[in-house]
Amino acid sequence: MDNFNLLLEGFATALRPEYLVFAFLGVLIGTAVGVLPGIGPAMTVALLLPLTMTLDPSAALITFAGIYYGGMYGGSTTSILLNTPGESASIVTAIEGNKMARLGRGATALATAAIGSFIAGTIATVGLTVLAPTLAALAVQLGPADYVALIVIAFITVGALLGNSVWRGMVSLGIGLFIGLMGTDSLSGQQRYTLGVPQLADGVDVVLVAVGLFAVGEAIYVASMLRTGKIDLIPITKGWRSWMTKDDWRRSWKPWLRGTAIGFPIGTIPAGGADVATFLSYATEKKLSKHKNQFGRGAIEGVAGPEAANNAAAAGVLVPLLTLGLPTTATAAIILSAFQSYGIQPGPQLFTNQPALVWALIASLYIGNVILIVLNLPLVGIWVKLLQIPRPYLYAGILTFAAFGAYALNFAVADILILIIIGLIGYFMRRYGYPIAPLVIGLILGPMAEKRMRLALQLSQGDLTTLVTHPFAATAYALLAVLIGAGLWLRRRRRRYEQRMAEELAATPDVPQAADSPRE
Amino acid sequence: MSSPVSTPEAGRRQTSSLRAPIGELIFAVLTIALGVFALVGSFGIRVPESNRVGPTVFPVLVAVILMVAGVAVLIGVIRGHLGSPEESEDVDLSHRPDWLTIAKLVGLLLAHLLLIELIGWAFAAALLFGGAAWSLGAKRWWVALLVGLGLGLTVQIVFGELLGLSLPLGPALAWLGPLI
Repeated sequence: MDNFNLLLEGFATALRPEYLVFAFLGVLIGTAVGVLPGIGPAMTVALLLPLTMTLDPSAALITFAGIYYGGMYGGSTTSILLNTPGESASIVTAIEGNKMARLGRGATALATAAIGSFIAGTIATVGLTVLAPTLAALAVQLGPADYVALIVIAFITVGALLGNSVWRGMVSLGIGLFIGLMGTDSLSGQQRYTLGVPQLADGVDVVLVAVGLFAVGEAIYVASMLRTGKIDLIPITKGWRSWMTKDDWRRSWKPWLRGTAIGFPIGTIPAGGADVATFLSYATEKKLSKHKNQFGRGAIEGVAGPEAANNAAAAGVLVPLLTLGLPTTATAAIILSAFQSYGIQPGPQLFTNQPALVWALIASLYIGNVILIVLNLPLVGIWVKLLQIPRPYLYAGILTFAAFGAYALNFAVADILILIIIGLIGYFMRRYGYPIAPLVIGLILGPMAEKRMRLALQLSQGDLTTLVTHPFAATAYALLAVLIGAGLWLRRRRRRYEQRMAEELAATPDVPQAADSPRE
Repeated sequence: MSSPVSTPEAGRRQTSSLRAPIGELIFAVLTIALGVFALVGSFGIRVPESNRVGPTVFPVLVAVILMVAGVAVLIGVIRGHLGSPEESEDVDLSHRPDWLTIAKLVGLLLAHLLLIELIGWAFAAALLFGGAAWSLGAKRWWVALLVGLGLGLTVQIVFGELLGLSLPLGPALAWLGPLI
């Protein structure tokens, strides 16, 4: 009950008018930026991070929670409404929403995504509320070796299992780890890989890397192969009432709940966050649906489930982030660095050291969810306008804000130079199919892993077995073996699934769909 | 372990002229080189006496990861396992990468960083925005420049003047400084 009181206090803080304004602004800006094509949640968070730096920590975190949820949701609007061929097979969930939109049911797709996100986000936040304090209390007992085990798991799952290729993921991870090494070693005070450049003595700022990879790298990449011609946008039917029929509700509510049940647990374990969850939810819905033949042609379950799973996983990711200080996605890694820039260190002590702050943050997640749904349903028209923004201006804007964000860190032009170099690395990684997320995870977790590893080895007087003999660490490594097996299996399955889907899609052009679909 | 290119799309990509593997080879070799650099560099790190596990252990580990992964990718590329370029809403993968645009954007960013302190943040940003929009094919360059100027001045006033970020005003706006 004690936690319940703390949560109420958190609400009392988060509901103060000035903080409500920040939550509102965060959701609004987060969604608006997230809706912009080519901008995923990670780039949204990275680009908007500098904006929050002028605020006090509570306000900044509350704004940030809004940005996180808003950015997550904004992306689904983009994929539903923007008609870009070619990438449908890679994002299973985008297909159904996009197909629904082409059948004139875009508003329904957006509504089921929004309501599903709201329900999943709220349930998952309840899960976070219950789980996080308990987990934090347990995590206090973890030793350095146990943390090393957890970080190794995060490295392997994010680095090796998520992308298409194990080794490309490891290259990306390695580059991130290397950038993390640059600067002054915190334990011995020695400079490493600074090449005698004084600007590198403090290392390379995580924000700089994130903005460079996600904003500059992406902008250069898109610019080099910009799709020309008219922006192919699917028109949306107007009017509240036509959004979801009774039948749509009937077909949506179970996928929402199943998606939540799949998304939240997957988000909490270091298995790479939302990607896996949305895929699993999609496959589940397809299996359970009575309308199997509609899948791939605009089945509402295929939007409702994965969207819910996506948002539930987004909340789940916050559990290890807040309780262990372990980010398991690129977005979470950027959020962690945001925390650190406000002088807050997430981890087991966070709940005991700064309860007011952390509970205000959790309360603001509930509030952010409500604002999200209140904003999104009526504002769809504005989001549609945003999608029509001429691409030259869009990417020019991304570059300008990236340069602004880099400069605003320390007001040093050298940072912009580093930004450009990292942007070029990001460009080549995209072009040659290297995943970006492992780099960010390696960069932020690498120094933590090193510190904990050396601490563990100092405690054991250099005995290497200490890293694996602690019961928790041993269990974690055993789990890792299972995860690798399951991950490889899942990946093979997913690839086959997507391939089959691509073939099916190629075979069925967009003809008006099966007879059992609802009218409209 | 590299992904076998099996989807119809990937197959198409592999055959298109865009996928000259020379760039891939260079990237993989550079990764290995970075690993070697990390390894060699680790010998240059001074190890204080007191530390049993010093500041060189982890760098060696990272170097090994880079070298092994780099070699594995290199072998994969030679065997024909090419990476698939990332997909994005606005990317048309059938286009050839346009080096001129990339060079223009990098040049504009460099010009931006050189100009910030000379002409002020707002004008340097206007140039970056206008130039980038023009490089990307904005029809009227002067509109792009004006939009950039509006954006630059807005950010300068909101963040520089009202929120207190120290963005250089430059000679043209120097009179703004003492106002706030």
